[in-house]
Order: sequence, then structure tokens, then C-alpha cells
Amino acid sequence: MKQRRWLSRSVVRIPLVLWALAVLYPIIWMILGAFKSNAEIYANPWGLPEVFNFQNFADAWSNYNIDISVFNSLIVTGLGALLTLAMAIPTSYALERIRFRGNRLLFTIYISAMMIPMVLGWIPLFFLLMQLNLLDNIFGLAIVYAVSQLPFSIFVLTSFMATIPKSLEEAAAIDGMSPYGILWKIITPLSTTGIITVTIMNMIQFWNEYFMALIFLQSEENYTLALAIDYISNETQYTNAWGTLFASLVIAIVPVIVLYAIFQRRIVKGMTEGAIKG
Amino acid sequence: MVQSKKQSYLFLAFCLVPTFILFAVFTLYPLVNGLYYSLFEWSGASSVGEFVGFDNYKRLFSDEIIPRTILHDYFLVVAKVIGIMILSTFFAVALTQMRIKEAPFYRIIFFFPNIMSVVVIGILWTFIYNPNLGLVNSGLEFIGLEEWTKPWLGSETWALPSLVLPSVWAGIGLFMLMLMGGISNISKSYYEAAEIDGATEWQQFWKVTLPLIWPQIKISILYIIITTLNGSFIIVQVMTRGGPNNSTHVMGSYLYEQAFVKYNFGYGATIGVMILILSLITVVIMQFMMRREKVEY
Repeated sequence: MKQRRWLSRSVVRIPLVLWALAVLYPIIWMILGAFKSNAEIYANPWGLPEVFNFQNFADAWSNYNIDISVFNSLIVTGLGALLTLAMAIPTSYALERIRFRGNRLLFTIYISAMMIPMVLGWIPLFFLLMQLNLLDNIFGLAIVYAVSQLPFSIFVLTSFMATIPKSLEEAAAIDGMSPYGILWKIITPLSTTGIITVTIMNMIQFWNEYFMALIFLQSEENYTLALAIDYISNETQYTNAWGTLFASLVIAIVPVIVLYAIFQRRIVKGMTEGAIKG
Repeated sequence: MVQSKKQSYLFLAFCLVPTFILFAVFTLYPLVNGLYYSLFEWSGASSVGEFVGFDNYKRLFSDEIIPRTILHDYFLVVAKVIGIMILSTFFAVALTQMRIKEAPFYRIIFFFPNIMSVVVIGILWTFIYNPNLGLVNSGLEFIGLEEWTKPWLGSETWALPSLVLPSVWAGIGLFMLMLMGGISNISKSYYEAAEIDGATEWQQFWKVTLPLIWPQIKISILYIIITTLNGSFIIVQVMTRGGPNNSTHVMGSYLYEQAFVKYNFGYGATIGVMILILSLITVVIMQFMMRREKVEY
């Protein structure tokens, strides 16, 4: 019996190891490729670099305007995440704690927006942004991003606030604290865990987002990182500067790897919960 | 509570109104307006389009590319559901039931592609499929199957199936974790009872694990369907732009091309309405088909 267990466990390990290789190999290889010269990539695309040189990063950074797009991506990501919180925290609190007519309905409207394909809305949104002078504008994109993650953020924050004991608010109200004070000084600090989870998820989402940026940004100086990489990738078909392309991919992926290394548990929890709501 | 009624209404409004206004302007209004746009012929040059009634819808039904895009979308849905569900169920069972001590390592690795940008995934896989330098063709040459090498993304037959692998690669982790959550909630006593009754591990899987994680499986399948119908065009846009010769266009990428490359905004909105209707119908049908009595032992 015991022997059979051991045997079946070893057999099961084979696909596990193979899949781990399938995931890791392309990523590691992309990182190695970023340090190779073009000649090396052609001569030996799948081998180790002879020397680690940072020329590709320097090229991507200055010749392909990655510096500007990293800056744009940081602005969009940071501003978008802050804006989402500013919108989501008060609304989540009201939906979770205050009884009013239409509470369920409003919550349902927000949550069902997670299931609706937004592609249809992008065409009118394009013209709306144009009228508001927010087209081809990273601040406009940040607003669009923030609103797009609002349903998910409200969903996670309400379920988080539901776990805060009501007695704390009641005690503060008896002490004469205003509802604004309760929201800002009691609920917000006690929801820190939920707020961090939501913010990390939103930041990864905004940092990675591609399609809305493709539609709503036009000039190169406003490109986010995803657009800049896509642009370099198209150029590479003609220039064959693979090393530069890999370097820019690495620049895009490193912040995500760092966040994942620090917040692995939270990210996993945020993603699985976000999916289960469906 | 000591506050007056007026003050509490004011607080409620402070909490809800600004957020809802932004949500209404940037989400609800565009969606509703999308339906309206689909009734116009509009190149975006003039400030108002020409009202054409249902002409865009007539065009939709006579457009030869539309049935292909729908077919491509559902091909991706079916291939992804099968690929992701089989692999993630297998991995979830292996990592929870087999007492493998390095299980956390696999869990962390398998999940990582889920948080990578689709752009990075798409470009990485474009290179993996590269006819001269890519891993796929070099691998085939290495094991002596040179006649199988082909320009994967440049071939009208193979480009669409080639898109399945990156999508599965990027999707497995999340669904594996959702199923693992389901499995860890199953009481050990069921397995002990099954073992006493002489059930093999294989039988335990079919008779105990699978019925008890059915809710998670159902949610996963629905989630794959929704995200594919609403988002498959992103990987298409990055990897093939709908080509070669429209052989990988899905509904969303065709919408993008019509609206934002060819400036047929009205017709683009009509395609958007079609996407909305088809995904709602699909979700309702799937929910009906996967209805199953909740199992309790």
C-alpha cells in the first residue's frame, strides 16, 4: 500500500515538474535574453549569455523612450489606485453599514457591472473623453481605470468591512464623533488589510493594462509601458533588435515580480475572491 | 444616534453621490450610449452621425467575417475550458491530496502568469512561436520532427490554435487555486470512509472530490467563458492583429478594427451589442446546463 502511494506520487510529479518548467523557462529565458547582444540571440537563442551586459536596457531606456512610458505608467497606476480608493471606501461603507432605500439595488448595479463586456462602452467613452479634453491624456486614462476597477474594489471592501464589529462605531458615536470622523478615523484604519489587497490588485491591473490605453492614448509621449512595449515589438519585426525588446519586457515585469514576492498571499486571495463573485 | 435626519442624509450623499456620478458617466452612460450609436452611420469626423436605423444590423448579418469571428471566439472558449479545467483540476488534486512536500513551490510558480500583463505574455509567446528562433520549432527540430515545424502564427490554419496555449498557460494558476480552495473544504472523513469501503484513489476522485467541488468547477467554467468572450481580443491584438487574412479575428478585435482603425464607429458599436447579447445568452445557457443538485453526504 505504502509503496503504491510512493509510486503514484512520483508519477504525479512528472507533469508538475514539466508545467513548472513550461512556466519558468520562457520567463527566465526572457530575462537572460535581455542581457545578450543581438548576435548572441541569433547564434544561440536558448543559451546563457556570455557576459551580462546592460546595453539593451540603456538602449530601451533612452532610444525607445521607455523612461517616459515608465513615468507615465507610474502616474496612471498611482493616481488610478488612489482615485479608486477615494471612490470605493465611502461607498462601500454606506452600502455595508447604512440602511437606506435602494441599498441592495445600488450594490447589485455595481456588482453586475463586473460581468458586462465593456468593449461596447469604449466607443462612446472615446468620444466622451474627447469632449472632456481627456483623450490622449494620462489623467483621463487614470480616471477611466479607476472607474473600471470600482465594482471589484467595492465588492472586496464591503465584504471586508462586514467583519468590523459594529460596537466600535457605536461607542465612537456616543462619544460624539461625527459620521465623517467614524469613516475616516475608525473604519478606514480598521480596513487596512482590505484596502491593501484591493490596492495591490488594482495597481497590478493598471500597470499591466493594454487595450484601453491603446484606444485612449495616441501620441508617443503619452504611451504607457504596455503601449511602448507593443510599439517596440512591432519595430522588432523590421529591426530585429530582440535584445532591446526583452529588456523592455523585463522592465515591465520586474515590479510585478517584486509585488508578488512581497504580497503573494494577498494577491492570490484577491484574485480568487474577485473571480468567485461571478 | 444624536445626529439630525438632515445630517445623516448629507453624510449618505457624501458617501454615495460623487462615486455614483463618476460611475454613471464613465461606465453606465457609455454602455447605454453604445446601444444608441449602433443605430448610426458615423465616421467620427462630423459631430453627429447619420441615423440609419437597423442598417448596421443588416450589414452585420451579411458581413462574411462576422460568422468567422464568432466561430473563433467559441473555438477559444471551448479549447480554453477543456485545457484549463483538465490541467487545473489535475494540479489541484495533485497538490492537495498527494501530500507532495514541495506543493507550495508549484502553487506559487503556477499562479505567476496570472498576474503578468497580456502584452508581455503575447510578445513572449510570439517569440516562442517565431519560425526561425522560437522554442517550438527549435524543440521540434531537436527531437527530429523537422517536418512539423511551421510559421505557427503566420499560417491561416495554425494561428488560431496557437493562441490557445498562451491563454491556457496564463490561466491555469487562478483556477487551480479556486479548485484547491474547494478541495480543502472537503472533510477528511469522506475519504476515510471511502477507503474503508475499498474505493481506489481514482474512484475517490470521481465519487467524492468531483461532486463536492462542483460549485467551484461551475464558477471556473463560467468565469473562463465570460473572460474569453470579453477579453480574448487582447491576446489576439498583441499576437496576430486578427491576421493572417482574418483567420484569428475574434469579435472584440474586429470591433477594434472597424471602430478605431477604419473609423466605422456605428458599425463597431453594433458589433459591441452583438458581443453583449451573445455573452449574456451563453452565460444563461451554461448556467442552465450546469444546474445540478447540490451534493451532500
